[in-house]
Amino acid sequence: MKAELQAIQAEALEALKSVETSEALESLRITYFGRRGKLTDVMKGMGKLSKEERPEIGKLANEVRATLTQAFEAATQALHSQQQEQQLAAESVDITLPGRKPAYGKAHPVMQTLERIEEIFRQMGFEVVTGPDVETEYYNFDALNTPADHPARDLHDTFYLTDGHLLRTHTSPVQIRTMENQKPPIRIIVPGKCYRVDYDVSHTPMFHQVEGLLVDKHATFSELKGILTSFARQMFGDKTQMRFRPHFFPFTEPSAEVDITCAVCQGKGCRSCGGTGWVEILGAGAVDPAVFEAVNYDPNEVTGFAFGMGVERIANLQFRIPDMRTLYENDLRFLRQF
Amino acid sequence: MNVTLNWLKNYIDFEFSPSELADRLTMLGVEVESIKQLGAELEGVVVGRVTSIRPHPNADKLVLCQVDTGETEELQIVCGAPNVREGMLAPVATIGATLPIGLTIKRAKLRGEESHGMLCSENELGLSEEAAGLMDLPADIPLGTPFSEALGLDDVVFELEVTPNRPDCLSMIGVAREIRAETGNALKLPQVGFSESETDIREMTSVTIEAPDLCPRYAARVIQGVKVGASPEWLQQRLESVGVGVINNIVDITNFVLMEYGQPLHAFDYHKLTENRIVVRRAAAGENIKTLDEIARELTPDMLVIADAEKPVALAGIMGGYDSEITETTADVLLESAYFNPSSIRATAKALGVSTEASYRFERGADPGIVLAALDRAAQLIAELAGGTICEGIVDVYPGQQPLTRIQLRPERVNFILGTALEATEMVQILSHLGFDVKANGAEDCEVIVPTFRSDITREIDLIEEIARVHGYDNIPITLPKGDIPVPAPNPSTEVRKRVKRFLLAAGMMEAINYSFCDPSCFDKIRFTADDPRRETLKLQNPLSPEMSVLRTTLLPRLLENAQHNRNHQIDTIAFFEIGSVFICNGEQKEPERVAGILAGQIGEGVYSDPYRSPDFYDIKGLVEGILEVCGIVDYTLQKTDTPTFHPGRNAKVLLGNKQVGTFGEAHPEVLDNYDLPYKAYLFEFDMEVLVDAAIFAKRFEPIPIYPTVERDLAIVVDKEVLSDMPTELIYATGGELVKSVRLFDVYEGEQVPEDKKSLAYAITYHSATETLTDKAVNTLHDKVVKHLNQKLGAELRM
Repeated sequence: MKAELQAIQAEALEALKSVETSEALESLRITYFGRRGKLTDVMKGMGKLSKEERPEIGKLANEVRATLTQAFEAATQALHSQQQEQQLAAESVDITLPGRKPAYGKAHPVMQTLERIEEIFRQMGFEVVTGPDVETEYYNFDALNTPADHPARDLHDTFYLTDGHLLRTHTSPVQIRTMENQKPPIRIIVPGKCYRVDYDVSHTPMFHQVEGLLVDKHATFSELKGILTSFARQMFGDKTQMRFRPHFFPFTEPSAEVDITCAVCQGKGCRSCGGTGWVEILGAGAVDPAVFEAVNYDPNEVTGFAFGMGVERIANLQFRIPDMRTLYENDLRFLRQF
Repeated sequence: MNVTLNWLKNYIDFEFSPSELADRLTMLGVEVESIKQLGAELEGVVVGRVTSIRPHPNADKLVLCQVDTGETEELQIVCGAPNVREGMLAPVATIGATLPIGLTIKRAKLRGEESHGMLCSENELGLSEEAAGLMDLPADIPLGTPFSEALGLDDVVFELEVTPNRPDCLSMIGVAREIRAETGNALKLPQVGFSESETDIREMTSVTIEAPDLCPRYAARVIQGVKVGASPEWLQQRLESVGVGVINNIVDITNFVLMEYGQPLHAFDYHKLTENRIVVRRAAAGENIKTLDEIARELTPDMLVIADAEKPVALAGIMGGYDSEITETTADVLLESAYFNPSSIRATAKALGVSTEASYRFERGADPGIVLAALDRAAQLIAELAGGTICEGIVDVYPGQQPLTRIQLRPERVNFILGTALEATEMVQILSHLGFDVKANGAEDCEVIVPTFRSDITREIDLIEEIARVHGYDNIPITLPKGDIPVPAPNPSTEVRKRVKRFLLAAGMMEAINYSFCDPSCFDKIRFTADDPRRETLKLQNPLSPEMSVLRTTLLPRLLENAQHNRNHQIDTIAFFEIGSVFICNGEQKEPERVAGILAGQIGEGVYSDPYRSPDFYDIKGLVEGILEVCGIVDYTLQKTDTPTFHPGRNAKVLLGNKQVGTFGEAHPEVLDNYDLPYKAYLFEFDMEVLVDAAIFAKRFEPIPIYPTVERDLAIVVDKEVLSDMPTELIYATGGELVKSVRLFDVYEGEQVPEDKKSLAYAITYHSATETLTDKAVNTLHDKVVKHLNQKLGAELRM
């Protein structure tokens, strides 16, 4: 019997080696473990053994059964992995076929820039406020210390409406509207559309500005430099150099134009900066006392500063669009680029 | 405004290189827009002497010249000029030079004889039309001197952008004063001195100012016996170097002094003035004048003229009259130097559409204090350069003399405004260098007297700016605001705009920005009825074109144009939105913000995995539903409208209660035709304000269901007219709280159902918040639903 058991084991192990399908494996399992299986038969014959033989043969039988059970399990596993591998191989895809990409839209490049500017100033405690595009002479000019016969009005090329209103030439009127309705401290930025009679590769008749205003008991020109320096570093990179150049605006004094180092040549001077190494990005200055007087603030009690920048101009430092009019054609081949 | 390096050096010493000077001026606020090296195109042209001339062996009209250019060897140059002579000095273009006419000089053989350069005429050097012979140069120029230097052409021209508040910088002396602020070096003003004749000017002329408000000062001199002719070379060069045209010596001198002092002058032909006298007055109604540019101009009584006893002879401060101008026959000259009211000059120049060097300065504010100095300077130059004798005395009528402006300056205030720690002495020095007279009363208080050329300085803050710019903006520290940070009120419109935009972008819509102006004909194109209030527009007085002549009252036409533009460029995946204001003016003016969108052409990437499909009504409706959802708006109803822009059967308005938030639908086929769209387009336009008012942002946790849900499908056949939400509402009404959701998952019309019927299939989810629903309970409820559908809508179960 002992020999019989050993023979069964050897024979089964040998048979397992050539099993290739799960059906074959199952029928082999039945051959040995089935109700009429070879091993089952031997086990059934155990009762006929003598008392002396029984422990030894019993032990051997258990061993053989354990060995074979394990072997069958291993074979099942192997077969399973093999089948899975085959299946996975068959399911392989062409990874170069196009993906099913969800549609997504893109914000207009001017808006992308505008939103970035807003975000930076919001972090510095500035509130975003807006005002009307259709303005009066008073808010657009007079209250901003630019009376009717002031030569500075020439620089604006204003669109007038037939009813006597005008399209604002800058977002500065919102300074006045805000101060009329609010007491200091004030920290606002004013994004919005502006209009000037101008239409060529570098000008569109409608454009966007962001105006800023800070009024407090003691706001200084040095703080204006601080705010704008911080803005420029965040907007254009922390290596950006700035320079403040004296300039003239009727509603600020002292007034400045602010340049940053040209990103194309890193300040060495090139065609796009006219050889100067600097690119103008905004105008700024301390709020002129006449403006405070126009809104019934006492210039001896408060000081402040204001600044204004053209969004298209700033956008174009990055995008380098040769013809600004392209911005408002809404050509998808253009808009998709940004 | 142009200035040149050499000209400036007449009035102040400085060692700056051209680029340094440009940088200094720019950082003082007088921005240098460009630097141009004069004479650069004459490189390689030097002064040479013709030492000997031999006949050319093979050509009658050519000669062989030996030319000394200061080098060790003389050059042989073949020349054909008729005026060439031994010993003459002439410009020599050496080998390698490229002349302004485009000719590059090479070693050449002319009829067999070597030529090592070219002797030049003025024409060949681009200096004048004179081409008859060689340019004959003065004998005292060292040989080999670069020609541009010999001619004084080696100058550097700076183009300045002078801001409107700084008319004092519109002159050489004015700019020299700025350089003085940088260097502290003294100004070198022209020394004026001349002898006068015995003729008293008072016997020659008189000046009457009838409009002292417009002409605070008028001064005149008379110069007799001048010879009008060409100006000397140096004067012509000076004027040409800054871009001022050369006319004749008298006019050139007035222009020279204009550039030097910034004071516009005018020279009259004395004998063409009736009664030889000057009356400064307002024009009479109906009066005319023919100005120097030979244009006859109609005058109005608010315009100031310079008149003689009879008629206007000049437009005051703007342009002289044609009939009294200096001509070759002029012998005696009346020279005007005046100060005019800036607003008046500005208004007149604007009304007549003229701008001249004179009006440009007067309208910004000239210097009443320089009137006499400039007049004398010009008289002297006329006497020197055009001959003539200066009559004794000046007529100087000065009814508008103002006391000098005095300003109190508090040094502490300067530092308070700027955030600096400047010493009072530094401030005083800066102001003194700029020409201010400063009296310091201790360190806390200064009295500053403003010179007449700085009419822009009237207040302490103006002085603070002067100190800041000369001290240097770059030297002001950089600090951060110390003040409180205001706490802004929450802004629901910003929040709505942000959410709507985020949703539309995520839904694949591209953001467009269009001009706020539009073409009034667009209202026809989108089929607005004749009485549609949106045809009431704000109109531009000065539009760029008819297509941009009114302000938009709807965003849709421009979006349709965007679609058209892209279609014309074969781009058909059209999905745009725009958020922007429209301009309403019926009664009260308003600028409501709108959000609008368009879908047209095709949706999808058009690739194997994502084929194109055409958008339909339910795509645009989905966008509309999404917008409402992100605004937290659930209570709204839809109604069909008769808006002519839309397909009558495929549009709706969205109502919040009885308030309309917007409309959407398929564009009417005629609208599509009007925009040349070969496919359907779907539009929506919403009013942001209504959205903002209805938006609900507050969110509260709702328990996630504990008990299982049970889903039952239900397919019914109903009449075609039954709208899909009628069964939905009935199911909700029947099931009450136990119906958690009803989802329409199929709509079918066709073979399987009768012709006037359709099949609707719903998935109903039953759920109770308090218990697990049994099959029996659900079945009972579901049966009830089926029964109600049958009773109320005639719905038959479809098996």
